[in-house]
Amino acid sequence: MTIDTQQKLLLFGAAAAVRLLLFTVFPALPELLAGRVEVSTPVTSFKRLQEGVFLYTHNVSPYDGGVYHQAPLLLPLFSLLPNPAYAPLATNLFYTAVDLLSANALAHVADSGFASVTRLFASPRKELRWSSAAIAAGFLFNPFTVATCIARSTSALTNLFVLTAMAKASHGASITFVLAAAFASYLAMHPILLFPPLLLLLYDARTLKTKTAPDVSSFVITHSLGFAAAIAALLSASAALTGSWDFLAATYGVRLLLPDLTPNVGLWWYFFIEMFDSFREFFLGVFWLHAASYMPGLTIRLNKQPLFVACTLTGVFAIFTPYPSIADAALYLSLVPMFRHLFPLMRYTFLASASILYTSFLGPAFYHLWVYAGSGNANFFYAITLVWSLGLSIILGDSLYAALRDELDVERPELQGKEVRRI
Amino acid sequence: MALISSILALRRDKRILKIPPYLSALCVIVGIAWLLVLPLNEYSRGTYVSENALLPGQVHTYFTGSEHNVFRAYRHEVHGLIDKPVAERSQRLETIFREQNLKVATQHYNYTVSNRTIANENVYAILQGPRADATEAIVLIAAWKNMADEVNNSGVALVLTLARYFKRWSLWSKDIIFLIPGDSTSGSQAWVDAYHDGHDQRYVESLNIKSGALQGAVAVDYPAGPWGQRYDKLHVVYDGVNGQLPNLDLFNTAVQIASGQMGIGSVIQRMWHHDNSYKDRLQTMLRGMISQGLGHATGPHSSFIPYHVDAVTLQTVGDGWHDEMSLGKTVESLFRSLNNLLEHLHQSFFFYLLLQSNRFVSIGTYLPSAMLIAINFSIAAMALWVKSGRRTEPIANPASTQPKSKPASSADKEDKGDTKPTHDIKHAKEKAPAPQQPATELLEIDGALAIVPVASTTVTERALLIPALLVISAHALGLVPLYLFNNWDADHLPGLFITTANIITLFPIAVAFLFNYTSPHILTLQALTLIQCFSLLLLGMFLAALATLNFSLSVLIGVACVPLSFVRRSTNMGINAVQLGMLALLNPCMVVQIGTKLLGGNLAEILVTAAQGWHIWGLWTQVVVWLVWFPAWIACSVVVASGIFD
Repeated sequence: MTIDTQQKLLLFGAAAAVRLLLFTVFPALPELLAGRVEVSTPVTSFKRLQEGVFLYTHNVSPYDGGVYHQAPLLLPLFSLLPNPAYAPLATNLFYTAVDLLSANALAHVADSGFASVTRLFASPRKELRWSSAAIAAGFLFNPFTVATCIARSTSALTNLFVLTAMAKASHGASITFVLAAAFASYLAMHPILLFPPLLLLLYDARTLKTKTAPDVSSFVITHSLGFAAAIAALLSASAALTGSWDFLAATYGVRLLLPDLTPNVGLWWYFFIEMFDSFREFFLGVFWLHAASYMPGLTIRLNKQPLFVACTLTGVFAIFTPYPSIADAALYLSLVPMFRHLFPLMRYTFLASASILYTSFLGPAFYHLWVYAGSGNANFFYAITLVWSLGLSIILGDSLYAALRDELDVERPELQGKEVRRI
Repeated sequence: MALISSILALRRDKRILKIPPYLSALCVIVGIAWLLVLPLNEYSRGTYVSENALLPGQVHTYFTGSEHNVFRAYRHEVHGLIDKPVAERSQRLETIFREQNLKVATQHYNYTVSNRTIANENVYAILQGPRADATEAIVLIAAWKNMADEVNNSGVALVLTLARYFKRWSLWSKDIIFLIPGDSTSGSQAWVDAYHDGHDQRYVESLNIKSGALQGAVAVDYPAGPWGQRYDKLHVVYDGVNGQLPNLDLFNTAVQIASGQMGIGSVIQRMWHHDNSYKDRLQTMLRGMISQGLGHATGPHSSFIPYHVDAVTLQTVGDGWHDEMSLGKTVESLFRSLNNLLEHLHQSFFFYLLLQSNRFVSIGTYLPSAMLIAINFSIAAMALWVKSGRRTEPIANPASTQPKSKPASSADKEDKGDTKPTHDIKHAKEKAPAPQQPATELLEIDGALAIVPVASTTVTERALLIPALLVISAHALGLVPLYLFNNWDADHLPGLFITTANIITLFPIAVAFLFNYTSPHILTLQALTLIQCFSLLLLGMFLAALATLNFSLSVLIGVACVPLSFVRRSTNMGINAVQLGMLALLNPCMVVQIGTKLLGGNLAEILVTAAQGWHIWGLWTQVVVWLVWFPAWIACSVVVASGIFD
């Protein structure tokens, strides 16, 4: 056994132990976290999933109650597991396994080296990188990931498929990539935006692997068709399972139209609570357009670094989608360490990490003041979610700056070390 | 953008690093001075009732005449129960309530804390409001024993009398619950926990009968014996568990009814003689802050406040001419006001500092002081972060020593410091002239050239993992005393305290010695700087979050921690000794001990109360002490102590 695999086994064992220990030592913790708005959103909550499973096993349409907004295919999966109220072990093991698989996928992405060296671009600081075990450790021991796992939020599954899609794309495995991307999009809808940059990544990986560049148009068409077919298959399986197409409105409709204004760490809920109904459709359009517009822009500008684009997009999702939770932030913050070579160029790391640290404590405090103590109000919590998003967007903007600067250092070596100025 | 990048360039300036300690000190000084000006008229306000449904003192009270005879009879009845066993007492109280046609129940509770048993019974009765639909209720409490452990003879009798009296009225639009807890803190906590189904059934019995959502609670504490005692003033106690406060409207209503309608003066925070001077106001405020900061239960009302039920205790004090009937009338009028409420008390302030019974400071005015104190730590942390990124070894002078190859310009690095924020700095790397020369680079600022050592402009890599792990383990270490103090045998708590105090004082030195002895490469200068940086960053963050929950606790701990942002590792033995001595004086155990002495408390009793608070009331003060204050102190002390072994 090599030292590397030994290290990895040790790491995975420790991570699994931490999770199972938390599950068993604090049996009330999963319930507590599952009820926190920061962790569980209406579209990922485990409690709502339980409700859906209950209705499903009693042969009632799971979407009838208006509580369940998650994908139908989760229902047969979770109805196989014993009821977590009496026998939580199976569910706990399942979620622990999901986290380990995600970490494994993340390690594969990091191993591929696509973060700093791609087909068309090699960073001048490419030696500066952390081992894949360290990056997987960063994911597994990230408190946000652990909280998501303990809360048994279904975003853990979405994260798994997103990371798997990245891993498969960076290793040039077409079919598994298409399947993973289809599953991620099927579960959470917005990962569909990751398809173009990851396709680009896949193209790069395939070219490097086979040493010949496949034909671009046929490559794009076959993979897009495959992707569409996979999604279509998943949707028709869902329709066959629930007996109607109602689930579309209850799942993707809810994500698109935001009928449930339960607070979360995102920016939408407060805005749409305050909004006059006549403007609702317009602003829904604007907000979605804004969130989606990052994909084409970044993919075109940074087409030499598709993995960076995909990673940045997960950050955009963590800030600008309607129902973000700390699980999305955990995914983004675990992907960022892959770009270790950009860290020397980043300028506000301390500020950004301090604001994220501050908000992760002030957020629950203000939520407590608002909801439990009754001495605060919604503005308290919203103010903190603003700062939280600010912290994430500082990291996002700063890493973008660093990536562009990195490219510039290759294109124009004479500008190395010079300060930027806006013209 | 250009401005930002120039400011960023500025952070390489050496002088920038000199500012933060002064800035920190300024924050602390302004923060404390801010507190001191609060009692002035310009910064405080007179209290006023915001909720117009309350209409304090607008109703005529009819609690007089023959009710007095009823009261006297009950007072003797209650007096006769003092020496009776608990079960018999509860039964008799139940009988009295039942005679008034009220629904009655008894709740038993049995807590074991620090190997001591707290067991007693709560008796309560529910008056169904004639105009109510059992969705809302208000509570009238008289604990069997008050906070001073005296039997609340007249208080209980008054509640019994009022139960009989209220039952005859047809105007109640909320249910009224009469509650007689077995003791002042645990009893009411057991009852209110069980009322909201938040109790642990191993220790606390569930309630048999319930009413609607509690809208307010008023407790009376009148320990006069069977022959009565006239009192001078009402002492309004309002602190809740964990420093939460009731809505200011309830407090104002109580004070306004007592003084305006009944002519009874009210005092707060044990300030029996308040002459409205600056000194007295300040003293009242500080007493309020200490009480809030400790977060302990101050009366039967305290347990209600965490459940968002506004509550106060009215305590009779002094020797005067007011009798039990005026107290009864006050309560009657107060209940008539609460009866008017259309919704939960929400209009007025939940965060305030009272200076006297009719003057207060609101959160907007006082919060900046706690925030400034918390920010001082963040500033220190940022300064240490910048410092940790700098070269530790001194920069060799590029222009001296080697006579062979002289640099073209003798301009030194000070030039760079003169960069105006609007100017651009352009770097152009240049090969070092000779291999043994320190590497230099050519800087061009506004056409002026300067050669500076590369070392002064490059940022060194920071090794973050080990300092972060050490700080986290310092925080984890706090769990040990937290567990021990909450679960140790009550008789041995003072011994445990002394042992802990001694161990804690020597602990940093031992840690520094061990690291220095076994693995000196771990605690490098940079690692130590980063440990202090992370520790202060966390401290600032915790205190800022805490300031919004319990302002006073945040200020108290913040002030006790102030030196932590100024101590530095030094190689000078004298400075180290002074710093360590000061830190030893300010370690959490020492501060608790000195504070207890100054406030005239009994340490053993306080430790038992704290353990009781943890298990019964859900007190969080210990968590803050052991998981916020203690780790910060340990981390900074280790940094200082490591200087000894250099």
